[in-house]
Amino acid sequence: MGTIPAPLETFSASATDPILAWRTWTLAGSRDLGEMRLLPIAGDGKPWPVRDPARAACRRPPRHHIVSGFGCRCGLHATRAPDPVRRTRDPAVLGTVALWGRVIEHEHGYRGEFGYPQRLRLACYLCFWQWGVPGACEVVARRLGGRMVPLCGPHLELSLRYGFRVGRLLPAHHVEQALLSTYAVDVLRSVIPER
Amino acid sequence: MDIGAPLRIIEIEPVSLPLPETLPEPERIPDTEPAEPG
Repeated sequence: MGTIPAPLETFSASATDPILAWRTWTLAGSRDLGEMRLLPIAGDGKPWPVRDPARAACRRPPRHHIVSGFGCRCGLHATRAPDPVRRTRDPAVLGTVALWGRVIEHEHGYRGEFGYPQRLRLACYLCFWQWGVPGACEVVARRLGGRMVPLCGPHLELSLRYGFRVGRLLPAHHVEQALLSTYAVDVLRSVIPER
Repeated sequence: MDIGAPLRIIEIEPVSLPLPETLPEPERIPDTEPAEPG
């Protein structure tokens, strides 16, 4: 087990290239797929803006501290590698995100002041949790309130067998295209880190 | 999502905002038939 480095507030660096990291989101959308929004898995639940950077905020004391605070947990969270995000709760979308502004580098990831998704794909949360791959999503279950749950074929069958109320089923390809078009980003083709 | 202990602060001022990659223009289809050779 490695030792945890002591926090060094003064240890800072500057850069011009945004950091590319990994994260997951939940997904909400309108019936006609005209409105699609990425939502954080945890935190304030505010949707990620479309074609505008997401900006982190913090309500923890001390008030009006700098975000991302070194000694706080605030900021847009992302991981260095895709594997750790398997443990996030019920993800619907896996992707890469650009982070910039004031970024706190951690042992396994980052907390950024600003962020925008770069590549996205729908994820069957059961495939992702079990095997670490997002799975080949066939349908998206749109539940009450617009929450969207992508599922692969076998996990759709399993969900139906165990009485999971799937709501309205939409073709995953249409939902993914609507998501990519909304945020104007490309599909994530591989979960192998690009750099 | 456990990202471990904080290590350092990085201040990043991108030269240009990494907003959506510019989507390629759809391939233009000529609206007239090409001139016949010769």
